[in-house]
Amino acid sequence: MLPVAVDVMGGDRSPGEILAGAHAAAADGIPVLLVGPPGLDGYGGLPVAEALEVIAMDEDPMKGVRNKKDSTLVRAAEAVRDGHASAMVSAGNTGATMASALLRMGRIRGVDRPAIATPIPVPGYVPNIMLDAGANAEVQAEWLVQFARMGSIYARHRFDIAAPKVGLLSIGEEPGKGDSLRKEAFGLLESAPGIEFIGNVEGRDLMKKTADVIVTDGFTGNVALKALEGGMRTLFAALLEAFGSEPGYKQHADALLPALLPLHAEMSPDTYGGAVLLGVKGICIISHGSSGSTAMRNAIALGHEMTQRGLVAEITAAFAAAD
Amino acid sequence: MPAETHVERNPLTRAEILEMVRGLLADILGIEPDTIAEGSSFTDDLGAASLELIELVEGLEEELGERSIELRIEDSDLADLKTVRDAVDFVFERVGGR
Repeated sequence: MLPVAVDVMGGDRSPGEILAGAHAAAADGIPVLLVGPPGLDGYGGLPVAEALEVIAMDEDPMKGVRNKKDSTLVRAAEAVRDGHASAMVSAGNTGATMASALLRMGRIRGVDRPAIATPIPVPGYVPNIMLDAGANAEVQAEWLVQFARMGSIYARHRFDIAAPKVGLLSIGEEPGKGDSLRKEAFGLLESAPGIEFIGNVEGRDLMKKTADVIVTDGFTGNVALKALEGGMRTLFAALLEAFGSEPGYKQHADALLPALLPLHAEMSPDTYGGAVLLGVKGICIISHGSSGSTAMRNAIALGHEMTQRGLVAEITAAFAAAD
Repeated sequence: MPAETHVERNPLTRAEILEMVRGLLADILGIEPDTIAEGSSFTDDLGAASLELIELVEGLEEELGERSIELRIEDSDLADLKTVRDAVDFVFERVGGR
Protein backbone atom coordinates (compact mmCIF):
# COMPACT_ATOMS: atom_id res chain seq x y z
CA MET A 1 0.00 0.00 0.00
CA LEU A 2 1.59 3.25 -1.14
CA PRO A 3 1.77 6.19 1.29
CA VAL A 4 0.03 9.54 0.93
CA ALA A 5 2.58 12.32 0.31
CA VAL A 6 2.04 15.23 2.69
CA ASP A 7 3.45 18.70 2.04
CA VAL A 8 4.78 19.44 5.53
CA MET A 9 5.42 23.13 4.82
CA GLY A 10 2.06 23.99 3.23
CA GLY A 11 -0.50 26.14 5.03
CA ASP A 12 -0.73 28.90 7.59
CA ARG A 13 -0.26 26.46 10.47
CA SER A 14 2.61 24.44 9.08
CA PRO A 15 4.56 22.51 10.03
CA GLY A 16 3.15 21.83 13.51
CA GLU A 17 -0.52 21.18 12.69
CA ILE A 18 0.35 19.43 9.43
CA LEU A 19 2.68 17.04 11.23
CA ALA A 20 0.10 16.43 13.96
CA GLY A 21 -2.48 15.54 11.32
CA ALA A 22 -0.02 13.26 9.54
CA HIS A 23 0.78 11.43 12.76
CA ALA A 24 -2.93 11.04 13.49
CA ALA A 25 -3.53 9.59 10.03
CA ALA A 26 -0.59 7.22 10.46
CA ALA A 27 -2.07 6.12 13.79
CA ASP A 28 -5.29 5.37 11.89
CA GLY A 29 -3.30 2.94 9.75
CA ILE A 30 -2.80 5.11 6.66
CA PRO A 31 0.79 5.09 5.39
CA VAL A 32 2.20 8.60 5.12
CA LEU A 33 5.24 10.07 3.36
CA LEU A 34 6.24 13.45 4.74
CA VAL A 35 7.71 15.84 2.18
CA GLY A 36 9.75 18.51 3.91
CA PRO A 37 13.15 19.93 4.77
CA PRO A 38 15.76 17.70 6.41
CA GLY A 39 15.99 17.57 10.17
CA LEU A 40 12.67 19.16 11.02
CA ASP A 41 11.46 18.54 14.55
CA GLY A 42 8.34 16.45 14.69
CA TYR A 43 8.92 13.86 11.96
CA GLY A 44 8.85 11.27 14.74
CA GLY A 45 9.90 8.24 12.77
CA LEU A 46 7.58 8.69 9.79
CA PRO A 47 9.29 8.34 6.39
CA VAL A 48 10.51 11.62 4.89
CA ALA A 49 11.21 12.68 1.31
CA GLU A 50 13.51 15.67 1.53
CA ALA A 51 12.77 18.92 -0.26
CA LEU A 52 14.79 22.03 0.39
CA GLU A 53 12.51 24.76 -0.96
CA VAL A 54 9.08 26.09 -0.05
CA ILE A 55 6.61 27.90 -2.31
CA ALA A 56 5.12 30.66 -0.18
CA MET A 57 1.38 31.17 0.17
CA ASP A 58 1.54 34.49 -1.68
CA GLU A 59 4.02 33.44 -4.36
CA ASP A 60 3.06 33.41 -8.05
CA PRO A 61 1.96 29.79 -8.51
CA MET A 62 3.37 29.01 -11.93
CA LYS A 63 6.64 30.85 -11.33
CA GLY A 64 6.97 29.13 -7.98
CA VAL A 65 6.63 25.69 -9.52
CA ARG A 66 8.85 26.51 -12.50
CA ASN A 67 11.61 28.03 -10.38
CA LYS A 68 11.51 25.88 -7.25
CA LYS A 69 11.93 22.39 -8.53
CA ASP A 70 13.11 21.18 -5.13
CA SER A 71 10.07 22.52 -3.30
CA THR A 72 7.88 20.43 -1.05
CA LEU A 73 4.92 20.84 -3.43
CA VAL A 74 6.80 19.80 -6.56
CA ARG A 75 8.44 16.88 -4.79
CA ALA A 76 5.09 15.70 -3.44
CA ALA A 77 3.61 15.72 -6.95
CA GLU A 78 6.67 13.89 -8.28
CA ALA A 79 6.29 11.26 -5.58
CA VAL A 80 2.82 10.47 -6.99
CA ARG A 81 4.01 10.59 -10.60
CA ASP A 82 6.97 8.33 -9.91
CA GLY A 83 4.94 5.75 -8.01
CA HIS A 84 6.34 6.49 -4.57
CA ALA A 85 3.04 7.82 -3.22
CA SER A 86 -0.62 7.15 -3.94
CA ALA A 87 -1.82 10.73 -3.47
CA MET A 88 -0.59 14.17 -2.47
CA VAL A 89 -2.04 16.50 0.15
CA SER A 90 -1.23 20.16 0.70
CA ALA A 91 -2.71 23.09 2.59
CA GLY A 92 -0.26 25.41 0.86
CA ASN A 93 -0.57 27.81 -2.06
CA THR A 94 -3.65 26.55 -3.94
CA GLY A 95 -2.51 27.71 -7.36
CA ALA A 96 0.92 26.20 -6.89
CA THR A 97 -0.57 22.92 -5.66
CA MET A 98 -2.67 22.79 -8.78
CA ALA A 99 0.27 23.72 -11.02
CA SER A 100 2.52 21.12 -9.38
CA ALA A 101 -0.04 18.40 -9.90
CA LEU A 102 -0.74 19.41 -13.49
CA LEU A 103 2.86 19.86 -14.56
CA ARG A 104 4.22 16.79 -12.81
CA MET A 105 1.38 14.26 -13.00
CA GLY A 106 -0.05 15.49 -16.31
CA ARG A 107 -3.68 15.76 -17.28
CA ILE A 108 -6.00 12.93 -18.17
CA ARG A 109 -6.47 12.58 -21.93
CA GLY A 110 -9.61 14.38 -23.02
CA VAL A 111 -9.66 16.77 -20.08
CA ASP A 112 -9.07 20.34 -21.26
CA ARG A 113 -8.67 21.81 -17.79
CA PRO A 114 -8.51 20.22 -14.34
CA ALA A 115 -11.08 21.55 -11.87
CA ILE A 116 -11.24 21.87 -8.10
CA ALA A 117 -14.14 19.84 -6.71
CA THR A 118 -15.15 20.90 -3.23
CA PRO A 119 -17.79 19.49 -0.88
CA ILE A 120 -20.62 21.84 0.09
CA PRO A 121 -22.27 20.68 3.32
CA VAL A 122 -26.01 19.99 3.30
CA PRO A 123 -27.53 19.61 6.78
CA GLY A 124 -28.82 16.08 7.27
CA TYR A 125 -27.46 14.74 3.99
CA VAL A 126 -24.16 13.95 2.34
CA PRO A 127 -22.55 17.10 0.92
CA ASN A 128 -22.97 18.34 -2.62
CA ILE A 129 -19.96 18.61 -4.90
CA MET A 130 -19.29 21.96 -6.51
CA LEU A 131 -16.75 22.42 -9.28
CA ASP A 132 -14.89 24.42 -10.33
CA ALA A 133 -14.09 26.09 -7.01
CA GLY A 134 -11.26 28.22 -8.34
CA ALA A 135 -8.90 26.52 -10.78
CA ASN A 136 -10.17 28.26 -13.93
CA ALA A 137 -11.41 31.82 -13.67
CA GLU A 138 -12.59 31.68 -17.26
CA VAL A 139 -14.01 28.57 -18.87
CA GLN A 140 -15.55 27.35 -22.10
CA ALA A 141 -18.96 25.70 -22.25
CA GLU A 142 -17.40 22.34 -23.21
CA TRP A 143 -15.27 22.42 -20.10
CA LEU A 144 -18.37 22.68 -17.94
CA VAL A 145 -19.58 19.43 -19.49
CA GLN A 146 -16.24 17.86 -18.60
CA PHE A 147 -16.58 19.18 -15.04
CA ALA A 148 -20.03 17.60 -14.87
CA ARG A 149 -18.65 14.25 -15.98
CA MET A 150 -15.76 14.33 -13.52
CA GLY A 151 -17.93 15.63 -10.69
CA SER A 152 -20.49 12.86 -11.21
CA ILE A 153 -17.80 10.19 -10.96
CA TYR A 154 -16.38 11.85 -7.87
CA ALA A 155 -19.81 12.04 -6.20
CA ARG A 156 -20.24 8.31 -6.78
CA HIS A 157 -16.83 7.49 -5.32
CA ARG A 158 -16.98 9.94 -2.48
CA PHE A 159 -20.59 9.75 -1.31
CA ASP A 160 -21.91 6.57 -2.95
CA ILE A 161 -24.51 8.44 -4.99
CA ALA A 162 -25.46 6.01 -7.75
CA ALA A 163 -26.76 8.52 -10.31
CA PRO A 164 -25.73 12.01 -9.20
CA LYS A 165 -28.01 14.83 -10.32
CA VAL A 166 -26.06 17.64 -12.01
CA GLY A 167 -27.10 21.28 -11.87
CA LEU A 168 -25.64 24.26 -13.70
CA LEU A 169 -25.20 27.26 -11.39
CA SER A 170 -26.99 30.24 -12.86
CA ILE A 171 -29.25 33.16 -11.96
CA GLY A 172 -32.56 31.41 -12.61
CA GLU A 173 -33.96 27.93 -13.04
CA GLU A 174 -35.32 28.42 -16.56
CA PRO A 175 -33.10 27.29 -19.46
CA GLY A 176 -32.88 30.80 -20.90
CA LYS A 177 -31.47 32.32 -17.72
CA GLY A 178 -27.84 33.31 -17.45
CA ASP A 179 -25.11 34.68 -19.68
CA SER A 180 -24.07 33.29 -23.05
CA LEU A 181 -21.68 30.80 -21.43
CA ARG A 182 -24.46 29.35 -19.24
CA LYS A 183 -26.91 29.18 -22.15
CA GLU A 184 -24.43 27.34 -24.36
CA ALA A 185 -23.44 24.99 -21.53
CA PHE A 186 -27.10 24.26 -20.79
CA GLY A 187 -27.61 22.93 -24.33
CA LEU A 188 -24.45 20.84 -24.22
CA LEU A 189 -25.29 19.37 -20.82
CA GLU A 190 -28.82 18.50 -21.92
CA SER A 191 -27.50 16.35 -24.73
CA ALA A 192 -24.44 14.91 -22.97
CA PRO A 193 -24.72 11.13 -22.54
CA GLY A 194 -24.18 9.68 -19.07
CA ILE A 195 -24.86 12.93 -17.20
CA GLU A 196 -28.06 13.27 -15.14
CA PHE A 197 -28.55 16.95 -15.92
CA ILE A 198 -31.48 18.52 -14.09
CA GLY A 199 -31.09 22.06 -15.42
CA ASN A 200 -30.09 25.32 -13.84
CA VAL A 201 -29.77 25.72 -10.09
CA GLU A 202 -29.41 28.95 -8.13
CA GLY A 203 -27.14 30.02 -5.32
CA ARG A 204 -29.80 29.12 -2.78
CA ASP A 205 -29.61 25.51 -3.96
CA LEU A 206 -25.94 25.09 -3.09
CA MET A 207 -26.73 23.80 0.41
CA LYS A 208 -29.90 21.92 -0.57
CA LYS A 209 -30.33 18.54 -2.20
CA THR A 210 -31.62 20.01 -5.45
CA ALA A 211 -28.54 18.71 -7.23
CA ASP A 212 -25.69 16.47 -6.06
CA VAL A 213 -23.13 18.04 -8.38
CA ILE A 214 -23.10 21.74 -9.22
CA VAL A 215 -20.93 22.96 -12.08
CA THR A 216 -19.73 26.49 -12.65
CA ASP A 217 -16.67 28.47 -13.69
CA GLY A 218 -13.85 28.84 -11.18
CA PHE A 219 -14.43 32.53 -10.59
CA THR A 220 -18.10 32.14 -9.69
CA GLY A 221 -17.41 28.93 -7.78
CA ASN A 222 -14.75 30.52 -5.63
CA VAL A 223 -16.92 33.54 -4.85
CA ALA A 224 -19.82 31.25 -3.93
CA LEU A 225 -17.62 29.05 -1.75
CA LYS A 226 -16.10 31.96 0.15
CA ALA A 227 -19.54 33.54 0.58
CA LEU A 228 -20.88 30.33 2.12
CA GLU A 229 -17.86 29.85 4.38
CA GLY A 230 -17.94 33.46 5.54
CA GLY A 231 -21.70 33.42 6.03
CA MET A 232 -21.63 30.24 8.11
CA ARG A 233 -18.77 31.50 10.24
CA THR A 234 -20.60 34.77 10.88
CA LEU A 235 -23.83 32.94 11.69
CA PHE A 236 -22.19 30.63 14.24
CA ALA A 237 -20.37 33.55 15.85
CA ALA A 238 -23.61 35.52 16.06
CA LEU A 239 -25.37 32.53 17.64
CA LEU A 240 -22.69 32.15 20.28
CA GLU A 241 -22.83 35.87 21.02
CA ALA A 242 -26.61 35.74 21.33
CA PHE A 243 -26.39 32.80 23.73
CA GLY A 244 -24.10 34.84 25.97
CA SER A 245 -25.99 38.09 25.75
CA GLU A 246 -28.18 37.45 28.82
CA PRO A 247 -27.23 35.49 31.94
CA GLY A 248 -30.44 33.51 31.74
CA TYR A 249 -29.69 32.21 28.27
CA LYS A 250 -26.73 30.13 29.37
CA GLN A 251 -28.67 27.16 30.68
CA HIS A 252 -30.73 27.07 27.48
CA ALA A 253 -27.58 27.30 25.38
CA ASP A 254 -26.02 24.45 27.37
CA ALA A 255 -29.13 22.38 26.67
CA LEU A 256 -28.86 23.09 22.94
CA LEU A 257 -25.14 22.40 22.63
CA PRO A 258 -25.47 18.62 22.12
CA ALA A 259 -27.56 19.39 19.03
CA LEU A 260 -25.46 22.31 17.82
CA LEU A 261 -22.00 20.80 18.09
CA PRO A 262 -22.61 17.97 15.59
CA LEU A 263 -24.20 20.52 13.27
CA HIS A 264 -21.13 22.71 13.58
CA ALA A 265 -18.92 19.74 12.76
CA GLU A 266 -21.12 18.88 9.78
CA MET A 267 -20.75 22.41 8.45
CA SER A 268 -17.01 22.71 9.09
CA PRO A 269 -14.58 22.39 6.14
CA ASP A 270 -12.22 20.53 8.49
CA THR A 271 -14.60 17.58 8.52
CA TYR A 272 -14.14 17.01 4.80
CA GLY A 273 -10.39 17.54 4.70
CA GLY A 274 -10.19 19.35 1.43
CA ALA A 275 -11.08 19.63 -2.20
CA VAL A 276 -9.87 17.30 -4.95
CA LEU A 277 -8.21 18.44 -8.15
CA LEU A 278 -10.01 16.39 -10.79
CA GLY A 279 -8.56 15.79 -14.25
CA VAL A 280 -4.92 15.08 -13.45
CA LYS A 281 -3.30 11.65 -13.52
CA GLY A 282 -3.16 11.27 -9.76
CA ILE A 283 -4.98 12.16 -6.57
CA CYS A 284 -4.30 15.71 -5.37
CA ILE A 285 -6.04 16.97 -2.26
CA ILE A 286 -6.09 20.74 -1.79
CA SER A 287 -6.77 21.64 1.81
CA HIS A 288 -7.76 24.97 3.27
CA GLY A 289 -4.83 27.26 4.05
CA SER A 290 -5.89 27.44 7.69
CA SER A 291 -6.11 23.66 8.06
CA GLY A 292 -5.34 22.25 11.48
CA SER A 293 -4.53 18.69 12.45
CA THR A 294 -8.12 17.43 12.11
CA ALA A 295 -8.45 18.80 8.58
CA MET A 296 -5.10 17.27 7.60
CA ARG A 297 -5.97 13.92 9.10
CA ASN A 298 -9.22 13.91 7.10
CA ALA A 299 -7.51 15.13 3.95
CA ILE A 300 -4.96 12.31 4.13
CA ALA A 301 -7.78 9.81 4.71
CA LEU A 302 -9.60 11.24 1.69
CA GLY A 303 -6.52 10.89 -0.52
CA HIS A 304 -6.08 7.32 0.63
CA GLU A 305 -9.74 6.46 0.10
CA MET A 306 -9.94 7.97 -3.38
CA THR A 307 -6.86 5.98 -4.37
CA GLN A 308 -8.35 2.77 -3.02
CA ARG A 309 -11.57 3.43 -4.93
CA GLY A 310 -9.79 4.01 -8.22
CA LEU A 311 -11.10 7.52 -8.86
CA VAL A 312 -8.45 8.47 -11.43
CA ALA A 313 -8.82 5.20 -13.33
CA GLU A 314 -12.56 5.68 -13.66
CA ILE A 315 -12.28 9.28 -14.86
CA THR A 316 -9.62 8.17 -17.35
CA ALA A 317 -11.87 5.39 -18.63
CA ALA A 318 -14.89 7.68 -18.90
CA PHE A 319 -12.99 10.23 -20.99
CA ALA A 320 -11.47 7.53 -23.16
CA ALA A 321 -14.97 6.20 -23.85
CA ALA A 322 -16.22 9.69 -24.70
CA ASP A 323 -13.26 10.34 -27.03
CA MET B 1 37.07 22.74 -13.98
CA PRO B 2 34.61 23.90 -16.64
CA ALA B 3 31.20 22.30 -16.52
CA GLU B 4 30.77 19.39 -18.88
CA THR B 5 28.24 20.25 -21.50
CA HIS B 6 25.37 18.13 -22.62
CA VAL B 7 26.39 18.53 -26.27
CA GLU B 8 29.66 16.71 -25.70
CA ARG B 9 27.85 13.94 -23.89
CA ASN B 10 24.73 13.22 -25.88
CA PRO B 11 23.85 15.39 -28.84
CA LEU B 12 20.32 15.23 -30.11
CA THR B 13 19.37 15.38 -33.75
CA ARG B 14 16.75 17.81 -34.93
CA ALA B 15 14.51 14.88 -35.83
CA GLU B 16 14.76 13.52 -32.28
CA ILE B 17 13.80 16.90 -30.87
CA LEU B 18 10.86 17.15 -33.27
CA GLU B 19 9.69 13.71 -32.19
CA MET B 20 10.00 14.71 -28.54
CA VAL B 21 7.99 17.91 -29.06
CA ARG B 22 5.30 16.06 -31.01
CA GLY B 23 5.01 13.36 -28.35
CA LEU B 24 4.68 15.85 -25.53
CA LEU B 25 2.14 17.97 -27.41
CA ALA B 26 0.10 14.91 -28.31
CA ASP B 27 -0.04 13.90 -24.66
CA ILE B 28 -0.92 17.41 -23.47
CA LEU B 29 -3.54 18.10 -26.13
CA GLY B 30 -4.96 14.59 -26.34
CA ILE B 31 -4.34 14.23 -30.08
CA GLU B 32 -2.30 11.87 -32.26
CA PRO B 33 1.35 12.87 -32.85
CA ASP B 34 1.07 12.46 -36.62
CA THR B 35 -1.58 15.17 -36.74
CA ILE B 36 0.99 17.70 -35.52
CA ALA B 37 2.87 19.30 -38.42
CA GLU B 38 6.13 21.15 -38.00
CA GLY B 39 4.49 24.30 -39.31
CA SER B 40 1.49 24.03 -36.97
CA SER B 41 0.73 27.16 -35.01
CA PHE B 42 0.25 26.46 -31.30
CA THR B 43 -2.77 28.72 -30.99
CA ASP B 44 -4.39 28.76 -34.43
CA ASP B 45 -3.88 25.13 -35.50
CA LEU B 46 -3.54 23.23 -32.24
CA GLY B 47 -5.72 25.34 -29.94
CA ALA B 48 -2.99 25.51 -27.31
CA ALA B 49 -3.12 28.32 -24.76
CA SER B 50 -0.32 29.63 -22.56
CA LEU B 51 -0.95 26.86 -20.03
CA GLU B 52 -0.32 24.18 -22.64
CA LEU B 53 2.90 25.95 -23.70
CA ILE B 54 4.10 25.91 -20.12
CA GLU B 55 3.27 22.22 -19.92
CA LEU B 56 5.30 21.70 -23.09
CA VAL B 57 8.40 23.51 -21.90
CA GLU B 58 8.23 21.84 -18.48
CA GLY B 59 7.92 18.51 -20.26
CA LEU B 60 10.90 19.31 -22.49
CA GLU B 61 13.03 20.33 -19.51
CA GLU B 62 12.06 17.11 -17.73
CA GLU B 63 12.68 14.78 -20.68
CA LEU B 64 16.00 16.39 -21.48
CA GLY B 65 16.92 16.25 -17.80
CA GLU B 66 16.35 12.51 -17.85
CA ARG B 67 19.02 12.37 -20.58
CA SER B 68 21.34 14.50 -18.43
CA ILE B 69 20.81 17.45 -20.75
CA GLU B 70 20.16 20.65 -18.90
CA LEU B 71 17.88 23.15 -20.61
CA ARG B 72 16.11 26.07 -19.06
CA ILE B 73 13.38 27.80 -21.05
CA GLU B 74 12.53 31.14 -19.48
CA ASP B 75 8.98 32.50 -19.42
CA SER B 76 10.23 35.42 -21.49
CA ASP B 77 11.18 32.97 -24.27
CA LEU B 78 7.62 31.68 -24.58
CA ALA B 79 6.40 34.67 -26.57
CA ASP B 80 8.80 33.73 -29.40
CA LEU B 81 7.48 30.18 -29.65
CA LYS B 82 4.53 30.42 -32.01
CA THR B 83 4.86 27.20 -34.00
CA VAL B 84 6.12 23.67 -33.48
CA ARG B 85 9.08 24.61 -35.68
CA ASP B 86 9.94 27.54 -33.38
CA ALA B 87 10.03 25.19 -30.39
CA VAL B 88 12.15 22.60 -32.19
CA ASP B 89 14.59 25.25 -33.43
CA PHE B 90 14.78 26.79 -29.98
CA VAL B 91 15.74 23.48 -28.38
CA PHE B 92 18.04 22.38 -31.23
CA GLU B 93 20.02 25.62 -31.10
CA ARG B 94 20.74 25.02 -27.43
CA VAL B 95 21.20 21.27 -27.13
CA GLY B 96 21.31 19.88 -30.65
CA GLY B 97 24.33 18.10 -32.09
CA ARG B 98 23.93 17.90 -35.80
